[in-house]
Amino acid sequence: MRDTFKIVSNEKLCPKFYKLCLEAKSIAQKAKPGQFVHIRVNAELEPFFRRPFSIHRANKYLEICYEVIGPGTKILAAKKPGENLDILGPLGNGFMLPPQGIKKVAIVAGGMGVAPFLALTDQLKKKYEIILLYGGRTKDHIFSLKAYKDNGCKIYISTDDGSVGTKGRVSELFSKIIPDASTYIYTCGPKPMIKAVQDFANKHQLKGQASLEEVMACGVGVCLGCATATIHGYKTVCHDGPVFELGEVVLGK
Amino acid sequence: MDLSVKIGNVTFKNPVTVASGTWGLVEGYSSSSLGAVIPKTVTLYARQGNPPPRIVETPAGMVNAIGIENPGADAFIAGKLMEIKKIGVPVIASVSGNSDEEFQALTEKFNLAGVSALELNLSCPNLKHKTLVAQDPIAVKRVVALVKKLARMPVVAKLSPNVTDISVIAKAAEDAGADAVSLVNTFTAMVIDVHKRKSMIGNFTGGLSGPAIRPIAVAMVYKTAQTVKIPIIAMGGIMTAEDALQFIIAGATMVAVGTASFVNPETPVEVLEGIKEYMKKNKIKDIKELVGSIQGS
Repeated sequence: MRDTFKIVSNEKLCPKFYKLCLEAKSIAQKAKPGQFVHIRVNAELEPFFRRPFSIHRANKYLEICYEVIGPGTKILAAKKPGENLDILGPLGNGFMLPPQGIKKVAIVAGGMGVAPFLALTDQLKKKYEIILLYGGRTKDHIFSLKAYKDNGCKIYISTDDGSVGTKGRVSELFSKIIPDASTYIYTCGPKPMIKAVQDFANKHQLKGQASLEEVMACGVGVCLGCATATIHGYKTVCHDGPVFELGEVVLGK
Repeated sequence: MDLSVKIGNVTFKNPVTVASGTWGLVEGYSSSSLGAVIPKTVTLYARQGNPPPRIVETPAGMVNAIGIENPGADAFIAGKLMEIKKIGVPVIASVSGNSDEEFQALTEKFNLAGVSALELNLSCPNLKHKTLVAQDPIAVKRVVALVKKLARMPVVAKLSPNVTDISVIAKAAEDAGADAVSLVNTFTAMVIDVHKRKSMIGNFTGGLSGPAIRPIAVAMVYKTAQTVKIPIIAMGGIMTAEDALQFIIAGATMVAVGTASFVNPETPVEVLEGIKEYMKKNKIKDIKELVGSIQGS
């Protein structure tokens, strides 16, 4: 579960985001779409925590995507091919397949929240009609479109500044979802976006799953630090999640 | 090489354990070679814990305010404790009560649960005063004494460092009959998001742990060891065997790895192996030779 793995490549994926490829067969073989890995970016005390990253794809290599935001991702971005990383994983529950009777899948992703869906669409592409509603800040924040297209996804994009696709939030694209009983939703992204998806799903009586993000310490359900409110009480994002029933998560403002 | 240590009438095969709330029955958290395990604190009734966010990263450590989320003593004893006991490592159960009656009820429940020792998490409200029990030597004396009267296993008082002089509190626990003291719990701490002007912890304040607190904890253990005769279980930012050895040389009989396990779950086992190597290298046959062996004091 914990091991060191060699970096194959660590490059810009689009102007604002990076993709890290690792030779991590033991994780790639076990990983389910929606699971994550917990990376110790260096052996020093700073930054102290590991950093969780959802698995973008796990085929020949283990792939994760990230944005340079804080000290952890800054260190990660400076890593070179051939260097090793200490990784715990795969962790978390991962996505469940859609229930019986579902033919169409609508994926609603915001920002880096799109990352886990490549692995999911790798799995769903043969059996389901997939639409991807994908919101980003600008055209420089949009990535992996070709891979989603290759997986047969019908893609609709929104950007905050309108530099590509529809201008505005991803909720502008909800009308692309055909809200019938054979449609199922997967979503991941900022909490206000997930809340909007939840409201849409409630209105149209759609079911689905949401992948959440939270600051984590242990990543394995021990410290109970990444608690999130659900209709069944607090649950850990790292161990009970990161994937929850869409209707189960309780989102604040 | 003799690594065994004693708390009350119970012998543990080695001095390395885990701090309450930082260990679980999870793949990667190996524990079969440890002297004991201390599971997360349980209360008489289930607690849902504090609202998120519950943790924040800090320089060389973290602040947490989990709020003792736990299923309650009965559910723990019937469930998780049974699974933990299967590992075959002695269990030191950690309990916390909101009143004397709750501490008594918890003691009676754990008397029947087959644990090796009982650790009292005294960082709980002291109802008649606006302090924690662990901040009031009179309250510590009262709680320890009433638990000791009932307990069939050794009793350990876990102390808070948020006091003027922790050795005074340790002495109160010893006078009340505690078989050991464990120290330190976390330091009250806070991190503020300056953009939102809000605390980064849902509970507003939390407790600081991790290597950031280690030198303060070592000093507290050292002072306590000069004051009491009962064994000390020491914790506070242990990341390596050398860190653990500092506590032992300062006077600790046992050492607990806590927050470090969140970064590397194998830390407790690595600490144990490192202590063995140190003893071998320095030709120390019995760990007890090291306890309190600081020179020039």
